[in-house]
Amino acid sequence: MVVKREDIGIGVGLIILSIWLFWYVGRYRPVEIYIYGPDFFPKILAVMMVVLGLGLIINAVLGNSLKMGDRIDPKGFVRMLISVAICIGYLFLTNILGFATATFVFLFVLMTFLKQRGILIRIFSSMATALIVWGIFRYFLIIPMPEGWLF
Amino acid sequence: MQFDLLFEAFGKVMLNPINFFFVFIGVTSGIIVGALPGLTATMGVALLIPFTYGLDPVQGLIMLLGLFCGGIYGGSVSAILIGVPGTPSAAATILDGYVMGKKGLAGKAIGMATIASFFGGTVGALVMTFCSPQLAKIALKFGPPEFFALAFFGLGIIITVSGKSILKGLISGIFGLMITMIGFDPLSGCPRLTFGSIELLGGVTFIPALIGLFGYSQVFQGIEKILTLPTVKSELKNIIPKLNEIKSVFKTMVKSAGIGTFIGAVPGTGCDIAAFVSYGEARRSSKHPEKFGTGILEGVAAPETGNNAATGGAMIPMLTLGVPGDAVTAVLLGALTIHGFQPGPLLFRDHPEVVYPIFAGMILAQFVMLGVGLGGMRFFARIINIDRRIMTPIIFLLCVVGSYAMRFSFFDVGVSLIIGVIAYFMNYYEFPGSPILLALILGPMVEQNLRRSLIISHGDPLIFITRPISAAFIIIGIFIILTSYYRIKKAMEKEAKSVIAEKEKID
Repeated sequence: MVVKREDIGIGVGLIILSIWLFWYVGRYRPVEIYIYGPDFFPKILAVMMVVLGLGLIINAVLGNSLKMGDRIDPKGFVRMLISVAICIGYLFLTNILGFATATFVFLFVLMTFLKQRGILIRIFSSMATALIVWGIFRYFLIIPMPEGWLF
Repeated sequence: MQFDLLFEAFGKVMLNPINFFFVFIGVTSGIIVGALPGLTATMGVALLIPFTYGLDPVQGLIMLLGLFCGGIYGGSVSAILIGVPGTPSAAATILDGYVMGKKGLAGKAIGMATIASFFGGTVGALVMTFCSPQLAKIALKFGPPEFFALAFFGLGIIITVSGKSILKGLISGIFGLMITMIGFDPLSGCPRLTFGSIELLGGVTFIPALIGLFGYSQVFQGIEKILTLPTVKSELKNIIPKLNEIKSVFKTMVKSAGIGTFIGAVPGTGCDIAAFVSYGEARRSSKHPEKFGTGILEGVAAPETGNNAATGGAMIPMLTLGVPGDAVTAVLLGALTIHGFQPGPLLFRDHPEVVYPIFAGMILAQFVMLGVGLGGMRFFARIINIDRRIMTPIIFLLCVVGSYAMRFSFFDVGVSLIIGVIAYFMNYYEFPGSPILLALILGPMVEQNLRRSLIISHGDPLIFITRPISAAFIIIGIFIILTSYYRIKKAMEKEAKSVIAEKEKID
């Protein structure tokens, strides 16, 4: 599948982003000796991105777009989104349950969701990993990790 | 250079088993810290400093040096095994190392990374030992125009790490430079593109961005394809590269060692820039540049030699001028000060009993790193054989913890996740992530020094051409951009023609 349509869309998006950036950084006025002020470099980048965006569109119109090697699997994409949601839940749980406990729960839930067979393997892997990572940070690196009701 | 003191120091350091023990502790700790994404050699050295208070200064310092060298090498282990660089300097190793891992050659890739790191580290340490004052004089001549020119030269490497589409690589690079605009303006202090967020005042932190680009994107792809990806078993036999394989990459290693040592010696650069420039030059000058990125030993040897050579290079300005070569040597400078020694020109005169053992300790660390690395290779290679349904959640966890550990901030985890989702889509539409990483590393250097140079010259851009070192870097940079573009384009056209010819033969 040739990504011509996608390249044109991305090119248009980049041009819009660059125009917005060029306009937005205009509010950062240069001051006295800083004549090359905070807006100088972002404006250069915005102009370069407009040129590259146009290049991408022209490339696509001329039929030189790359072939997309792999397609996104819709079911796999949903699986990925659910995993991100599980991760966000884990971040909230960390402050409630504590790092080690929340990590064990996170790993166990994710391994179960990914259909890892063998409940004992899941429990052992999750527990061992959580304890090892917690131990490395707590006792070897002495980096404080979030604490909650448990540890 | 007092050779009698040097040989005496070598004898004392290398023949004392206690020193060997401390270097071993340092190297092993460094490899563990380096292999864990999100934990850097800088953090490892900073955390180990308090343990050196009660030690003899020489023993404490060589332990820290061991951690420095081990940490830079350790990043390659996770880069090859799981596609997440343990340290920023291992990001270039992913390009071929991870591909080798996916083909079942993880052991060989780690073996090559170990030997290349040993070679580069030893060359860097030897240059540090014998050429410190001379190289320091050149490094001292770097001003804003030279730093801009060096960064321009580094950004030119984007062409060589762009993969199949140079245009998309350039877009990724510019996108990365745009990300570096977020936060305080380095010259005026004005907050830019923060949209009122306090967390964004410091900009997008580098490590979470690195983990998002390479870590989360791999994890998300792995989860998406977990049911369809074939299981790959890593080969555990013949994992030490053969002599003819090492010979085939020897020239590349020599060149990368030189590049890495020089770049490391320039204050404010570091092992990550050295790794990318070494990789880029190896690809540019190769007879088969189209093979880079497909899993070849040269693609692992070049960046690993470069980044470990830069460890020796970075020590040069720190010891001779009291100016750190990179972030790790900045922390090491602090360690020396804590132990009562002031780095700089007088250190060589007043405390040769510390300086020469540092040289010896650095070289000892390379041998210990070689031993630990080669000894641990089989163990590392087995990690790939663990069930993907167990490894993927563990890697996901390491990404979360890694992006949190830098500033103990969940905001960084969130930013890292967002970048990971963007990188996930970018991979599918053939926008490479490496140019973004290069841009994140070099962007601040480019902007600050460009503006400073123009302020110094009152807006005259000829300042970059009239200063010899700056002009040299600009000219070499343009030469590399043009030759890389033509060589890579030619190689890809040749490959496309051979694929068409093969198809016609089959038909």
